[in-house]
Amino acid sequence: MSKIMTLQEAAARIHDGDILGLGGNVLHRAPMAMVRELVRQKKRDLKLVKTAGAMDVDMLCFGGCVSSVDAGFISYESEYSLAGHYRRAVESGTVKGNEHACYTVISALRAASYGVGFMPVKGLVISDLIDANDYFIRVEDPFTKEPVTVVKAIRPDVAVIHVQEADEEGNARITGPLFEDVLFSRAAKRVILTAENIVHGSAFTGSSKKADIPHFLVEAVVKMPKGAAPCSCPGSYDIDGKNLKGFKKLKDLDGLNAYLKAFEKSDYKG
Amino acid sequence: MMEEKNRVCDIMVCAMARLIPDGSKVFHGVSSHMPMIALLLAKALHAPGAVHLNIPGGTDPDPVRLKKYTSAGPELLERATAYFPLMEVFDLAMRGELDLAFLSGIQFDFRGNVNASVIGDYKKPKVRMPGGAGSAVLIPTAKRAILWRTKHDKRTFVNQVDFVTTRGNVERIITPLCVFKMENGEMVLETIHPTSSLEEVQENTGFPIKYSHIAYTPLPTKEELSALKRIDPGDFRNIEF
Repeated sequence: MSKIMTLQEAAARIHDGDILGLGGNVLHRAPMAMVRELVRQKKRDLKLVKTAGAMDVDMLCFGGCVSSVDAGFISYESEYSLAGHYRRAVESGTVKGNEHACYTVISALRAASYGVGFMPVKGLVISDLIDANDYFIRVEDPFTKEPVTVVKAIRPDVAVIHVQEADEEGNARITGPLFEDVLFSRAAKRVILTAENIVHGSAFTGSSKKADIPHFLVEAVVKMPKGAAPCSCPGSYDIDGKNLKGFKKLKDLDGLNAYLKAFEKSDYKG
Repeated sequence: MMEEKNRVCDIMVCAMARLIPDGSKVFHGVSSHMPMIALLLAKALHAPGAVHLNIPGGTDPDPVRLKKYTSAGPELLERATAYFPLMEVFDLAMRGELDLAFLSGIQFDFRGNVNASVIGDYKKPKVRMPGGAGSAVLIPTAKRAILWRTKHDKRTFVNQVDFVTTRGNVERIITPLCVFKMENGEMVLETIHPTSSLEEVQENTGFPIKYSHIAYTPLPTKEELSALKRIDPGDFRNIEF
């Protein structure tokens, strides 16, 4: 059964208030076409989850779509530096910045994928993060009686993952680093894929490298060439630095809307 | 001429590289060009058996070309020997087998507390920083944590950090002026870069400088400089200055 749909249809399946997992890492294989469409559709109160985010988180915060961000690191890395829109949103109090260590995001997703409510995290022992947040608690290890920090499970309502290849049923193969995307696909209630290329299912059955994400976990597939641009998509394209710089300079929603408008043609041709 | 020859970025990268023993398992994260280049340098010279671990999961990468904008890109997986993703690097640290992690922060105090989170109130911060990434779990669990920061001023080296993102096995902090070493729970001056002075370090540090004797950070050797040119022809080790 084909799960292919348009970007607009797939974005409409993400609802205000959803916990949204974002695939990729910093400027690599972020699902940017979907991020742009979520801003166009004026989603509100999204609770974002990612180990290390950059432009995706920054744009959704700029668009007023976000109420909280659970992440270990939000920045564009050294050359393009700080995520200004995210930063201002947290500083003004409109977005709650739930700081994690990247590993505690992974542990929270693992807990969800194992179907349990929390996960012990060995390393998190000395940190103001434990007392400042309600998703970390120190408990007594029931076996050794030593103190241990646990992190509350995070089960995304939806994970949006951009992949290089998917078939129309939702089997998907990722080229290059997987980052946390396979884990996201197991932890989330629902998975929406955007894919550079739609391939025939025989591409997986006939190959030694099988799908990283199997069809039965996936509810929608969008054909989306350049779906990670202006971020990178390993094996397909590198970042568009000029575009990144232009986005970072935008000051207001008029600027953001004009920026999104310029992407409409390529975002809607899939 | 001296300035051109002895650049701070080269002194820092070589100081970091020399702290990497052969055979050790070493991790660097995002936004980490200096340790990434230091690790490639160490492997090219004195530590060919050091194990290079990173975010994209490429074990011992031999990248054709580094990227200016990222230390977490696919070039660290191409031409690597194995796929060992981030979550497994963390697992390795949790079971006590990660030898060395290079991490950073925005504020440090003399007790070795690290702040990478916020200035001001956590819930409504005056400044929201990028966050500590893996540091809150790695600094306590890696056998050694070496920190670096390309700024050395009184806002960075403070008497007391605003927020303790983490502390733990901080061994050294490498700055553009000097190398600090943690001894008995206190940060002491280990070496001053020949491009700086005790006065400059003191003037730019928000706590009294402790030291037992004055020593200088060794300058990069010809061999190190020529290896750096080969590994990092784009001079990305200098982008944060």
